[in-house]
Amino acid sequence: MALSSAPPNRKEAWGRRVLALAVATAIGFIGLVGQLWYLQVLEGGRLHELSEKNRIRVRPVAAPRGILFDRNGLALVDNRPAFTLSLIPREMDDRDSVVARLAVLLKMPVGDLLEALDRVPADSIRPVRVRRGLTLEEVTKVEERKLELPGVVVEVEPQRVYPNSTFAAHLLGYVREVNDEQMKQGRYRRGDMIGQSGLERLLDDYLRGRDGGERIEVDAMGRPVQLMRREEPDPGAQVITTIDRRVQEVAEQAMAGKAGAVVVMDPRNGDVLALTSSPAFPLDRLAGNLDREEWVRLVKDPQTPLMNRALQGQYPPGSVFKIVVAAAGLQEGLIAPMDRIYCNGQFTLGNWTFKDWKPGGHGHMDLRSAIAHSCDVYFYQAGLKIGGETMAKYAHAFGLGMPTGIDLGGERFGIIPFSSARPRRRALHAGETVNMSIGQGQLLVTPMQVARMMAAVANGGILWKPRLVQRVERSDGSLAYSSSSKMTERAELSPVVWTFLRDSLSAAVKEGTGAAARIPGLDVAGKTGTAQTVAKSDSAKGQDHAWFASFAPAEDPQLVVVVFVERGGHGGDVAAPVARKIYEAYFLQKVAQVTIGESG
Amino acid sequence: MLRLDRRLLQNVDWLLLGAALFIIALSLVSLWSLNPTRGISSLVWRQASWVGVGLVGLLVVASVDYRNLVRTAPVLYVVGLGLLTSVFVLGRTVSGARRWIHLGPLTVQPSELFKLIFIITLAWALTTGRGVRSRTSLIGTFVLLGIPFLLVVRQPDLGTALCLIPVLGAILVGIGIPLKVLGGMTLAGVAAMPLGWFVLKPYQRDRLLVYLDPFRDPLGTAYNVIQAKIAIGSGQLLGKGVGGATQSRLSFLPERHTDFIFAVFAEMWGFLGCLVLIVAYVLLVMRGFEIAAGTREMRGRILALGVTTVFAAQILINIGMVTGLLPIVGIPLPLMSYGGSSMVVSLTALGLLLSIRMRQFR
Repeated sequence: MALSSAPPNRKEAWGRRVLALAVATAIGFIGLVGQLWYLQVLEGGRLHELSEKNRIRVRPVAAPRGILFDRNGLALVDNRPAFTLSLIPREMDDRDSVVARLAVLLKMPVGDLLEALDRVPADSIRPVRVRRGLTLEEVTKVEERKLELPGVVVEVEPQRVYPNSTFAAHLLGYVREVNDEQMKQGRYRRGDMIGQSGLERLLDDYLRGRDGGERIEVDAMGRPVQLMRREEPDPGAQVITTIDRRVQEVAEQAMAGKAGAVVVMDPRNGDVLALTSSPAFPLDRLAGNLDREEWVRLVKDPQTPLMNRALQGQYPPGSVFKIVVAAAGLQEGLIAPMDRIYCNGQFTLGNWTFKDWKPGGHGHMDLRSAIAHSCDVYFYQAGLKIGGETMAKYAHAFGLGMPTGIDLGGERFGIIPFSSARPRRRALHAGETVNMSIGQGQLLVTPMQVARMMAAVANGGILWKPRLVQRVERSDGSLAYSSSSKMTERAELSPVVWTFLRDSLSAAVKEGTGAAARIPGLDVAGKTGTAQTVAKSDSAKGQDHAWFASFAPAEDPQLVVVVFVERGGHGGDVAAPVARKIYEAYFLQKVAQVTIGESG
Repeated sequence: MLRLDRRLLQNVDWLLLGAALFIIALSLVSLWSLNPTRGISSLVWRQASWVGVGLVGLLVVASVDYRNLVRTAPVLYVVGLGLLTSVFVLGRTVSGARRWIHLGPLTVQPSELFKLIFIITLAWALTTGRGVRSRTSLIGTFVLLGIPFLLVVRQPDLGTALCLIPVLGAILVGIGIPLKVLGGMTLAGVAAMPLGWFVLKPYQRDRLLVYLDPFRDPLGTAYNVIQAKIAIGSGQLLGKGVGGATQSRLSFLPERHTDFIFAVFAEMWGFLGCLVLIVAYVLLVMRGFEIAAGTREMRGRILALGVTTVFAAQILINIGMVTGLLPIVGIPLPLMSYGGSSMVVSLTALGLLLSIRMRQFR
């Protein structure tokens, strides 16, 4: 074999060729070092960040929502731990079969589950909430079949709990998972529970608190390996409202089965002690998994349970408006307390005849008795003397036709005819003036406006901005918000007029139409109202709205109670007894407390 | 046979051996650091015992005259062919490929063993008969090696097949095949590449496409590439250390103890650590070339060059693929990756280099 010892020149050639191969290899290694330099030094920072993102997941821990208290420290709404069913997409090996099993187990529509899952990436390790408020029984069912349900977890989260389903529903408002529309604001995360109406919405930023979080290290399968840091949630702030839970409860009980609204206010500072609208909606149902059908039923209910009648309902005030007419006539000197008329039960103006509510009439009437007995004929004449524009001016002075400034949204303004603020479309008709003088016609007010007006009558003209929230305290005890009573307007009347009005309203309860509100030992002052409505043949309950606007005690008013019962009938029969129950609850409770205090 | 005379011992290439042992040490440390809390895991023990077996192989081969080994090439060839065929009969399918056969408790990867047989057969075929550059011996060589090559491709073990091509190329260059002929063969190879597309399995096609565009399918095929890049890059200049190597520890890295072990190492020791490892490899490979260049005898030359290029090709392809320079093919990093067959074959191959080196000075 000649090849075994190569001649020198061939050896050199071999060496050169091997050298060339070695150089080629070296170039390859240089390329590798170059790539490593690029990855580790030039791109190192960015890739390091990516590796951190890989391994660290943040899992939110829900902050308990702040609690709303009444003025005496009783909770209006509280939290309790509730079970939430969630799915972790990444851990669901066989999504379809897990969803199918779960749907059968809990009798949930498959579509809902898939819809919830479709909103997040399929490899997300963040639990997707699919159902809140699981019963203990349902939790047991899920836990028993845990092995067949990979990726299905039951989490414990704080949830709202209410004294009863409809308690102060319009006032408190409901809490519900953020919807698609709200997500667009960019302030919320999917699954956040936020206030959707009432105080819950108004104070949502305070109540919501700040969710905590857990930083967990996960492996490539998304399985948690260790907890790196836990940031405790910052609970929502506590709200001390002006509401008196007992008064609120009594008002709601008294209104049970009736449609309407009650506003209870402290005339000395504008604090709202109770605000109810009935029928109310079930807060707990709205917070949970309400199905579409149930929602449609609520929205389309002819009784409009979602509407807050105290603020959003606009109704003719009926005879309650006579307070304004009397104040206007006295202050302008157009009528005098001693002027007497004879009421024969009807009043003729041109071709029109206006009837008194009492067939046959009231006989001889002066202003005081006309207010007490709510004589329409007296006020027809007085109204004509005063004129529509002057009545409108005084209505404004009492805060009608304008928002009361209460912090709850959606407040309506009401309507005052003859108001200079409204463009006049046609010449004024004397008949409209006559109608207006007994609170009929185009005149519309909200129960809240009437309450504010009654407070002004009680306190001598101060129109308060109704106050619902006293203060908001953060979980560390610091003050996040506080509000003091604010006077927005002042009705300027001579002190004699104020005294006369209070005296006449007291007479209305003592000897007139408001007798049903009479309470031994308590001087209640109030005006009934029975407002005719546009005839509706389908209403079996009668056509008239019943009002009772009042305060007590007449000499030293501490409480304003305005009761409105929609198509309830006569104010004196229907609304006044509701007010009486509220006064009894408020004042007798106080008496009881004082007695106990003294004996103990 | 094992009696070594003093002169042979004097010519042991300590640099080559030292570089190899250093790399093996790094491999054991890397395997240990994948699971540092459990103490020395069974993985490390097993790898260490394979190192032991490999070192025995190294000693045996180093002490034998490689010329005698080349003479046994036909036998080795037939045995190798038999093993490769047996994969299709006895082999177990692991992630779509039949590469392993079970011999009792052991799992052997015949294609690894075949790398060595390929080189020895090459040395035998080219030096037997008419002469190195004669047309007949060339054609004979191609036919002889074509059969097992196709068997490897069919397993499929594209990685092994792929690193045999540069070995053949380097040897052809080394023995001085005219550039014209080489150029022609290269052109033919390039022209045949589109045909190769049809031979590839779907997952192999995906890998190629992903190589061209890694974010095509970030959670599927490209996941490995992306995660490996993240692991390497996040090591930055100095590395995260054993405890901080989250990509490796938390299993974001696929095949982390086998084909992707370089990424584990890079995450833990950073650019500087990689540089040390690469320098060790360069030392090893360059020493191999030096041995090849210094050999006067043709069989020794072919063997030395073949062994060196098979090392170089595997190292470059493996690190190239882990760092995202090349498409992903299943190929271990010699002396680093966990795996008995690869370790034993690599050490035995080094034994061959040592054997050639020791006998240069006779």
